Amino acid sequence: MSLAVAAEGVTRRFGRRWALRGVDLAVPRGAVVALLGANGTGKTTLLRLVSTLLRPTAGRLEVLGHTLPAGGDEIRARAAFMTAGGYAYEELTGVENLRFAARMSGTAAVDADLRDALAAVDLGGAADVPVRAWSTGMRRRLELARLGLRPLELVLLDEPFVSLDEDGVGLVHEAVRGWREAGAAVVIASHRVEDATRHADDVVRLAGGRVADVTP
Amino acid sequence: MSELPRRAAAILWKDILSETRTRQGFTAMLSFAALVLFMFSFAIGVDNDLLARLAGGLLWVAIVFTGTLSLGRTFQNEELAGGTHLLRLYPGDVRAIYLGKLAGNLVVLAALEIVLFPAAAILYGVDFAAQAGPLLLVAALGTFGFSVIGTFFSALTVHLRARELLLPLLLFPALVPVVLGSVGATEAFLAGDPLGRAGGWLRLLASYDVILFVVCLWIFPVVLEE
Repeated sequence: MSLAVAAEGVTRRFGRRWALRGVDLAVPRGAVVALLGANGTGKTTLLRLVSTLLRPTAGRLEVLGHTLPAGGDEIRARAAFMTAGGYAYEELTGVENLRFAARMSGTAAVDADLRDALAAVDLGGAADVPVRAWSTGMRRRLELARLGLRPLELVLLDEPFVSLDEDGVGLVHEAVRGWREAGAAVVIASHRVEDATRHADDVVRLAGGRVADVTP
Repeated sequence: MSELPRRAAAILWKDILSETRTRQGFTAMLSFAALVLFMFSFAIGVDNDLLARLAGGLLWVAIVFTGTLSLGRTFQNEELAGGTHLLRLYPGDVRAIYLGKLAGNLVVLAALEIVLFPAAAILYGVDFAAQAGPLLLVAALGTFGFSVIGTFFSALTVHLRARELLLPLLLFPALVPVVLGSVGATEAFLAGDPLGRAGGWLRLLASYDVILFVVCLWIFPVVLEE
């Protein structure tokens, strides 16, 4: 099976602090991998490396057939990253936030598509309300809607269950199932072990910036 | 529309929409600009001839000071949204981010100047309308140069703790040719350009604008990398 992500000895240093030390990771296409570990073990750094936001200090990182740092643009066109901190413009409404994302991604989405994407995450009623009036959970749902705007081959989710109610968590699971069925690879970094591992083909535990164990 | 202008236009659309919803930044800028113009007027006193002679310089100092406030906000809404680096997650040339933000700064500064020029004309007793065409060209070249450098340094300092202090420190030395050219050309045109110096100032402005634009656009992708 071809790999969506193949990391060999990937290392990343921030100043004097080593965030990752020689990480090996294989994420097959169409597979779901749960990335577990305590705070500060390098989960987010690994996702940021794979998303092309960061460059490895050392090691070899291949994403969707491109060995980084080459092919960053091609990777970003086929992959998406849901960050733990959220990403939404306060003064724009839900539908305007999605319109901006669609324009930046080059997605040919009309207004009806954007409203459908919001309705799919139960935000149809808030589509024309500025995001500054939204709860944190609603903003997380907006991120899910943003990821659903275009076909993806690799989805990186950093703490996707945080701030979500039961229905919201269900929406994340539904989205993960959908991506896997469509053949995309999904990497979920989370402290919520039960949710992160529900669809996982592999469970990777990080400790001290290294892979502690991989459980199929 | 091809990819680069389309994405730059998306950023411009998003920033203008955000700004028109809050209006906080622009209102504060206008108040500050008015304050600067008044302070110069009070400092120089009732000498109307002196005020008129210095009008070009005073006007451009007010534009630069006020514009620096605007530049500091260039990437602020990106930080509030989650981080400037997240714009890099979209596919395509990251130079679109620079072009979009540059266009946004040009729009804000142009709006500011539409108010500042008439205000300075009234306060300092000068007739900008008589030289409207040439002064429009000076304003366009000066504003473009200011925005080109300012947008670049704004991106460079966005993640620094002392960015409010560092931005003017980096910006003002790089702005010297723009300010000299703009003030020189404005004063020359207001005086009727008896010595034919305005053309030289305009050539300086245009050359500096082109060189800076090419350099800033070329190295911008490195600035956004972490």
